[in-house]
Amino acid sequence: MEYFRKYLGGPQEGGQPTGAETVERLVDRVQSSTLLDDRRDAVRALKAMSKKFRLEVGTQGMDILAKTLEADRGDAEITGYALDALCNILSNEPLDDDDEEIQENVPDDLGNQFTEIFIKKTDNVPALLSLLEEYDFHIRWPTVRLLTILLTNKGKDLQDIILVSPMGVSKLMDLLSDSREIIRNDALLLLIQLTKNNANLQKIVAFENAFERLFDVITEEGDSDGGIVVEDCLLLLLNLLKNNASNQNFFRESSFIQRLSPFFNLKSDQQASQPGWSAQKVTNIHKMLQLVRTLVSPNSPQQQMSACQRSMFQCGLVQQLCTILMASGVPADVLTEVNTGHSHVVLDINGLLLVIIIPAIVVLLMSMVNEKQPFTLRCAVLYCFQSFLYRNEIGQSQIVQTLLPTSSDANTISAGQLLCGGLFSADCLSNWFAAVALLHAIMENSTQKEQLLRVQLATSLGSPPVSLLQQCCNILSQGGKIQTRVGLLMLMCGWMSSCPIVVAHFLTNTANIPFLITQVSASESDENETLVQGLCSFLLGICVLDNDDQNETFNRASLRQIIEKRIGLESFSDKLTQIPKNESYTKAAKKPNFTYKHPSEVVFDFEFTRIFKSLEVDILNTVSPNANAAEHKQKIANLQEHEKVVNQYKELIQEQDTQLKSVSQELELLRSQNGVSTGQLSDLREQVQQLKDQNALLKAQKGSQGAFLDTKKEDDLRNIQEELERLKLYVSEKETAIEKLKGDLTVSEAKVLAYQTDGEEDKENNPSEVAVLQATVNRIKCDLQEAQHMLKERDAEVSRLTTKHNEAQRQIDNLNNIKNENSSQAGGGDTVLLQEEIQKISSEKLALQERLTKANEENLNLIDKVNKAQEETKHVAKDKSEVEEELDNLKKEQEDLLVLLADQDTKIDTYRTRLKDLGEQVEEDDDDDDLGDDDTDDEDDN
Amino acid sequence: MSYAYLFKYIIIGDTGVGKSCLLLQFTDKRFQPVHDLTIGVEFGARMITIDGKQIKLQIWDTAGQESFRSITRSYYRGAAGALLVYDITRRDTFNHLTTWLEDARQHSNSNMVIMLIGNKSDLEARRDVKKEEGEAFAREHGLIFMETSAKTAANVEEAFINTAKEIYQKIQDGVFDINNEANGIKIGPQHSPSNPSMPSSGGGGSQGGGCC
Repeated sequence: MEYFRKYLGGPQEGGQPTGAETVERLVDRVQSSTLLDDRRDAVRALKAMSKKFRLEVGTQGMDILAKTLEADRGDAEITGYALDALCNILSNEPLDDDDEEIQENVPDDLGNQFTEIFIKKTDNVPALLSLLEEYDFHIRWPTVRLLTILLTNKGKDLQDIILVSPMGVSKLMDLLSDSREIIRNDALLLLIQLTKNNANLQKIVAFENAFERLFDVITEEGDSDGGIVVEDCLLLLLNLLKNNASNQNFFRESSFIQRLSPFFNLKSDQQASQPGWSAQKVTNIHKMLQLVRTLVSPNSPQQQMSACQRSMFQCGLVQQLCTILMASGVPADVLTEVNTGHSHVVLDINGLLLVIIIPAIVVLLMSMVNEKQPFTLRCAVLYCFQSFLYRNEIGQSQIVQTLLPTSSDANTISAGQLLCGGLFSADCLSNWFAAVALLHAIMENSTQKEQLLRVQLATSLGSPPVSLLQQCCNILSQGGKIQTRVGLLMLMCGWMSSCPIVVAHFLTNTANIPFLITQVSASESDENETLVQGLCSFLLGICVLDNDDQNETFNRASLRQIIEKRIGLESFSDKLTQIPKNESYTKAAKKPNFTYKHPSEVVFDFEFTRIFKSLEVDILNTVSPNANAAEHKQKIANLQEHEKVVNQYKELIQEQDTQLKSVSQELELLRSQNGVSTGQLSDLREQVQQLKDQNALLKAQKGSQGAFLDTKKEDDLRNIQEELERLKLYVSEKETAIEKLKGDLTVSEAKVLAYQTDGEEDKENNPSEVAVLQATVNRIKCDLQEAQHMLKERDAEVSRLTTKHNEAQRQIDNLNNIKNENSSQAGGGDTVLLQEEIQKISSEKLALQERLTKANEENLNLIDKVNKAQEETKHVAKDKSEVEEELDNLKKEQEDLLVLLADQDTKIDTYRTRLKDLGEQVEEDDDDDDLGDDDTDDEDDN
Repeated sequence: MSYAYLFKYIIIGDTGVGKSCLLLQFTDKRFQPVHDLTIGVEFGARMITIDGKQIKLQIWDTAGQESFRSITRSYYRGAAGALLVYDITRRDTFNHLTTWLEDARQHSNSNMVIMLIGNKSDLEARRDVKKEEGEAFAREHGLIFMETSAKTAANVEEAFINTAKEIYQKIQDGVFDINNEANGIKIGPQHSPSNPSMPSSGGGGSQGGGCC
């Protein structure tokens, strides 16, 4: 200790040993001492000297300090000292603890050089990383600081080392969860350095749940009201997401966009109590908005961007941004950021946003035309407005609507009023902003260009209203600042380009062209003036280019002449080509968003430069179609003459055309009528054909029915008669048989009665049945007679039908005749006579139709009758079959009777035999073969 | 967007075996015959359903080239599942499996589910590694095995889903500590702690529980 003190106190007392010497001794001591205490003291001394004698300690002691980290890792104290010492050596920033005089002769990048030496030893950084595992505050904190310093000095190299050291990033990420805030906060700074411009590290950090942890920290710290730590978190988030599509995708996929929205929840009550925001809050909001912008930056892939936009819209983030826009007391530069961020979001989904945006637009425009607002904000508003209107026809029309007289409402301030106010205010920037805003409201939209013509302005009491276009000219002619004039000229050029109606409107005021001419032909060489001259020549060019030649004084030709005479083609094109050469033009043409830093830089608008580019060549061509002026003139004269002649011819042709049209129309009419009548004719023909067919059919039917009926009926009749005959024969036969049987019966009855009384019952049956049969036969006969009668009737009907049919035939012939007449008349169709003929035809047609209907009716009747006849024949046939059936029945019954008779015969026989047996004398008139049955009959009777 | 669980996967294997194509087929259902070399890692995500539960898969597709090996190692620790891919038409990619496996085992947590995938099964004519060899390797090292084709999409879906099923099973069995996000598993924001293997105190509230 004593020894050590001597060295330490040395310089202060006598100043003999220099700092370098002391350092040397201390280093030597650290290296050679065997006792930990000694080493620890030496390191502490080195640490103490490391600020004042940075160079010395660095050059001589760095190596040994680094070694100490490994060798004496077990002792937290000495490790801590060594780390502190290293921090002091390597840091480029003056440390804040005390104001000891710092060495003068130290080079600025000493820290970098030391860092380079330090990391050259490949073990050093991994050793530091492994030290992070120590929980002791005295080790962990300086390690974090040291790593941060190393990263600050040699970022790229350190990043590469950490990237390849296993678990390196994991260890660093774990620091974010350290309960000691100072370590967590410094770890944030470390990670910010680590992730700078290194996509691989950014991805790994994100993989290690960085988003989750950072949002946790942000929430813990109170979102936008949090301190600098929130800002650091946001910085890190920005690092992770900027230009890193993979991480952006991860961010979105993990629903972190939704976690952005609490940040913009600005409590209104808080705002009321403290109107302004704290500087930190402004910064935080600012960073958060940058984050939003990063996610929807046009630099990232389209698909990615729109996906982000969608989720932002869905989670209401856009709505919140709008709310911030409208809120009062929001600092201007935040608004700027909101606007720009906003417009990125707006770009794609403006259709959806329309509802939200419209009220916001008015607020935006208010600040745009307010000269007290900061310049950057006004630029941002214009950019936002432009983004809103970009290819958004609905938005454009809505803006223009507010300008039109019908929709003017005195109570509320409309966007249109604001724009007009801005356009003609005394502030040249407002003029410019309003002009460009209006230009965008009609950009590439000829409907709105024409609509805008309707805008009338009341300039002062009593004087008649002036159109907006004319007012622009008036203001222009009053001179004024460059921005005013350029703005108005740009608006007018954009307005008039490719819209002849507007050009015509412009030309109606005869003062306008002379004004332009004087402007262009002015010979001032001031840079701004040349711009105005160039723009005036451009406008003049548009007047020629989009001229509809309706204005006699200022048609294309005359304008060309004027340009040629008053300005000269050379000078005209020279003035025109001056514009693209202008620096502000090239600047504006580069990017759609503004980069103006100062109001004086505001000259051109990006969209205008596009119009200019597309029209410049056309204008030059139109204005100077030919070099030779005389020829040109003559040509024009010729052309005019030609045109006159052509016009005459045109008129003639037009007249003829109209005549032709009417004639062809007439023809068309007649043709159609002809078509109709031929159609009717063919219809009639068809009908006639149909009738003929029907007739033929009927004839055939009738013929067949006549013949068929006749023959059939006759046949039938004959058949029936035959049948009847047969039946009669049959019946008579049967009757005879029955008679015979009756005879037999009576004989047998008599016999039976004579011999026996038993068979009475049986015998009675037979005559009754026969009587029934008789009756049936009688009935059949009756029926037959009836049928015959009916047949006769039918014959009468058939004859009547034939007569009717003949009549129909005659009528059909008549119709045919008429039809032939019709066709002959139609065949010789003359268009003049056609009308009459058509009438005749139609009347005839009507008659025909009437007749046809009649014939049809008659036909129907006929058919009906025929049907009836058929039915009746059917009926007869049926009757016949019935009769036959009955006949059959009769036959059957007869058979039955025969059987009965046979039975009775047998019985009679039995009786006979019995009688014989009984010894009676029986007349043996019958057969003997019945004898075999005797036994059975005996049994039966017994 | 709500999910019951979130699993983190990594896809590893030699360069050109079709890792990125597998991911593209799984997330976008398309095949890109010409694919740029993956630089570092690329991210992809998709939602799947297992057992009626929505599970979000976040997949990090790593570069196969040796020069990126040190970078890709950083992703092992936080992954719950790994797809180890080789190309059935190139035996060397199969031969390197041991190295990959060692690497994975060394840097990952021990419970990581590894699915061995023989890709390009559509190129049967050019096959260089038999399916049985792949199966044998998987059996030997305790891996799940599957042959896939990122081109025809054959088995691609299954490969990712089967891995998730295995992880899900491990959660059910209580093998995974689901409250340690370093395991590559996260409980969904509104998933109630109905799971028996999950301590009721470790509420998966909307804060996401930054516990460590």
